[in-house]
Amino acid sequence: MARGLWSGTLSFGLVAVPVRMVSAVRDRDIHFHEIDEQTGERIEIRRICEKDKKEVPWEQIGHGYELDGKQVVLSDKELAAAAPERTRTIEIEQFVELDAIDPAHFNHPYFLLADSESEGVIRAYRLLRDAMSNAGQVAIGRVVLRSKEYLVAVRERDGLLSLTTMLFADEIRDPASIPAVPSGRANVPRRGEVDQAVEIIDAMTRNFDPARYEDCHRSRLMKIIRAKRRTGKVEMPHIEPEPDPVLDLMAALRESLARVKQT
Amino acid sequence: MAPRSIWNGTVAFGSVCISVKLFSAIEDHAVHFREVRLSDGCRIVHRRVGSESGHEVPAERIAKAYETSRGQRVVLEDEEIAAARGSRPKVIEIEHFIKAAQIDPVYYDRPYILGAQPGSERAYRVLLAALERSDEVGVGRFAMRTRERLVALGSRGNALELYTMRFADEVIDSTDIDAPALRRAPTKQEIEMAERLIDTLAEVWDPGEHQDRYRASVLELIKRKAAGKEIEPPPRESLKPPQDLLVALQRSIDDHPRKQSFKARRKRSSAHAQKTTGAKS
Repeated sequence: MARGLWSGTLSFGLVAVPVRMVSAVRDRDIHFHEIDEQTGERIEIRRICEKDKKEVPWEQIGHGYELDGKQVVLSDKELAAAAPERTRTIEIEQFVELDAIDPAHFNHPYFLLADSESEGVIRAYRLLRDAMSNAGQVAIGRVVLRSKEYLVAVRERDGLLSLTTMLFADEIRDPASIPAVPSGRANVPRRGEVDQAVEIIDAMTRNFDPARYEDCHRSRLMKIIRAKRRTGKVEMPHIEPEPDPVLDLMAALRESLARVKQT
Repeated sequence: MAPRSIWNGTVAFGSVCISVKLFSAIEDHAVHFREVRLSDGCRIVHRRVGSESGHEVPAERIAKAYETSRGQRVVLEDEEIAAARGSRPKVIEIEHFIKAAQIDPVYYDRPYILGAQPGSERAYRVLLAALERSDEVGVGRFAMRTRERLVALGSRGNALELYTMRFADEVIDSTDIDAPALRRAPTKQEIEMAERLIDTLAEVWDPGEHQDRYRASVLELIKRKAAGKEIEPPPRESLKPPQDLLVALQRSIDDHPRKQSFKARRKRSSAHAQKTTGAKS
């Protein structure tokens, strides 16, 4: 059973649907514990007061903020007063086309589940799901999660309502602010070069099949762990040097095109 | 201030090798707090201690251990864990290309921006122009820190953009979830009415029109507290689902100040834009 991370109300005009949020992704990384090599003890992280070096229990920890040289301390409860309505209710503000949203905005995907088995709730949930999927639109709203506000996109996915947190426009960096992004009149690509590159891309185009990609890192790491357990040793891979950047661009493009056309 | 690059390497597009720099595409503007003790505001520091002894353990004595399903412990050095990066950690070799529209956004993890290293500017711009023209993304792998990741290379705002991607088995589908069964289908009338409400609320997506209002609320709260004011969250009001869906939908449409359909509004606003700027739609 998926654990609910948040529960509240999704409101669509005057239609309020109690929902809970569960993550739509799972962590498949291999995790390690930290241990003390000398004693073999597991390492724990403790919160200590800087002055008297005493451990501070979780419930006695607050949020400090420096304002005009003076520290202001807020408790969890006080911080929760910052935007109470947006902490509990996701109000649908507008509907937009999914394709119009730049994926750079997307942050974390969740599912929204109806938070009650009652008929009224289930019907309202299903109505919203069906109407959105028919209209091919996503609903935009906002929510406060763990003391941060996110825009959210709610849509039908896989038979359920899904919610993706999104970043605000000012949280996405404008590439023009990065000097290393080449622009201007120097180094403008020639038409023939771009044509060749497009041809290579076309020849290398496949359909998207997410299941084709295996997490090789995970399997390599498991192999390393097994080798270390059995033999006490790990063989270090030979790191290939980075290839040099191309000098004759057109020749490299031609060579690449000939190669992809062969296969 | 110009952001600093977090990774340098090479994009290999066929035989075309492009030296690149990687930058985060995300800027953090959240209000950050420091952990303090509530009673006296004393700063908190984190200490790594042995779970039994409670004694602090110096960093050089800390190792990483993997626990097998049988409870056996395998200790690994950092370099041994890093060996899982493979033999080409600094090269993003594009394996193939995919129409950007085919990728559900759930597979995109974090966005980054690529810059060119000196000498690779033109090759960078050739690949960028070709990706823009074909509306495709290149798929490859690279290792950041010690972790190899699947990445998609696309374009945004005249720059190459890189996304780390999620693997299929990291994405949860609805069959993995114990969700309440959605038995009763809505009536045709309810669907129509809901679609009318969607249409009333339909807009052209403009990310810049949505601003984070929470930051300002938090700063306001800090000022109130600094002025010695009492801070109490208001009681939680519970919104109930409506008894009659049709009535609620009809009232939502009636209450909305906007009465025209999305199409009619778009027509009017684009006609208006043409008149004022002479721009072609």
